[in-house]
Amino acid sequence: MAILKLYGGKQASCTRRVATVLHELNVPFELIEVDVMNGAHKKPEYLKFQPFGQIPYIDDDGFILYETRAICRYIAAKYPKSGLIPTEPKANALFEQAASVELTNFDPSASKAGLQLWIKKMGYTYPTDDKVIADHLETLEKKLDAYEAILSKQRYVAGETITLADIFHLRYGVYVTYDGSESDNIMNRASRPNVARWYNELVSRPSWLAYLDGVKTTTAY
Amino acid sequence: MPFKIYGFPPSTCTRRVALVCKELNVPYELIPVNIPKGEHKAPEYLKRQPFGVVPAIDDDGFTMFESRPVARYLVAKYGKGSTLVPDPKDIIATAKFEQAVSVENNHFDEPAGELFLQLVIKPMRGLPKDEERVKALLATLNSKLDVYEMVLAKQPYLGGDILTLADLFHLPWLYGLTEKAKLDLVTSRPNVARWYQEISSRPAWQAVKDGA
Repeated sequence: MAILKLYGGKQASCTRRVATVLHELNVPFELIEVDVMNGAHKKPEYLKFQPFGQIPYIDDDGFILYETRAICRYIAAKYPKSGLIPTEPKANALFEQAASVELTNFDPSASKAGLQLWIKKMGYTYPTDDKVIADHLETLEKKLDAYEAILSKQRYVAGETITLADIFHLRYGVYVTYDGSESDNIMNRASRPNVARWYNELVSRPSWLAYLDGVKTTTAY
Repeated sequence: MPFKIYGFPPSTCTRRVALVCKELNVPYELIPVNIPKGEHKAPEYLKRQPFGVVPAIDDDGFTMFESRPVARYLVAKYGKGSTLVPDPKDIIATAKFEQAVSVENNHFDEPAGELFLQLVIKPMRGLPKDEERVKALLATLNSKLDVYEMVLAKQPYLGGDILTLADLFHLPWLYGLTEKAKLDLVTSRPNVARWYQEISSRPAWQAVKDGA
């Protein structure tokens, strides 16, 4: 059985999302870096595997899959005992609700603000727009007020145990903290103690800390 | 006790849930939440849906929100024998289904929704279109549907050989853009057109397309 191949970027946010879940489940994988700077992801040889021209995708012993959340779900499905996707019907429905909330209520503004904040923090020459950042963070503030209401009643976004829905928030959840200080940023506000509690627990997980310097091939855990 | 949908009949997401109810022959009671009057932001509604959008559901005391998870829940609970969601034991079919669901969410939903807002909702409210934004959205949607055209040339549905929720999720916006905004995004692409023709002519969609 060939090792799972992850085609992506060391520092790329979505590649990191997949790597975090692989690490959570101790799945060995090989990172194959795609030369995005030189447009490798838009070439015909790449589009054969990922027709939208984005990273990452995986090749799991010949099975090709793209869309990071689908990849994460696929990996979790192979390890059902992990509980990262609950199987009991109501718990599963509440997991799906939380996963959808991440997609529709968190990601749109967090990714748009987060990506630009990351570009600024890294000092890349790619243009950023402070007004766009501010507008998206304003939207995100309101969404996180709703998260505070949810997380004041339960430990994680889908219930009392951690699921993929929580892990999906990482990366952009981290990026948006770049606007502010370590103790006072959008994920760490005195006015939202439960969001802060949840966020700080997520970023202390070994699976997140493992790739602070970038995703890398991991064959042993 | 009938399945309760707290929603607004013309709303995209309310219709998405009603569609799946119809597909599975699940009778439902629509409890109106008056959007123009702001009822979706009232404290009693926010208790049901903390983000203040429709719909939310109550299935004999079990409450949840977000239209696509509700659809999945409906299939899990009432769809015995339904293939709208693959059997979780089939890991590969499930992965391809999840890929297609993710594509709808990440590549289609946002530009389609915003384009509908610009071309149909804004004129209805007497607001001017943002021509630059429309141009950009059309460019994005066209490039995405070029990929759909390629994928649907090789397989009948987005998740593979079988119709699933991933296909049905597209209906509210596709209907709006094709038949209300009269765009040729679908009709100009033979495989997308074939796929749209098939999914939109299903009786379940016909029953709710103009109101849940």
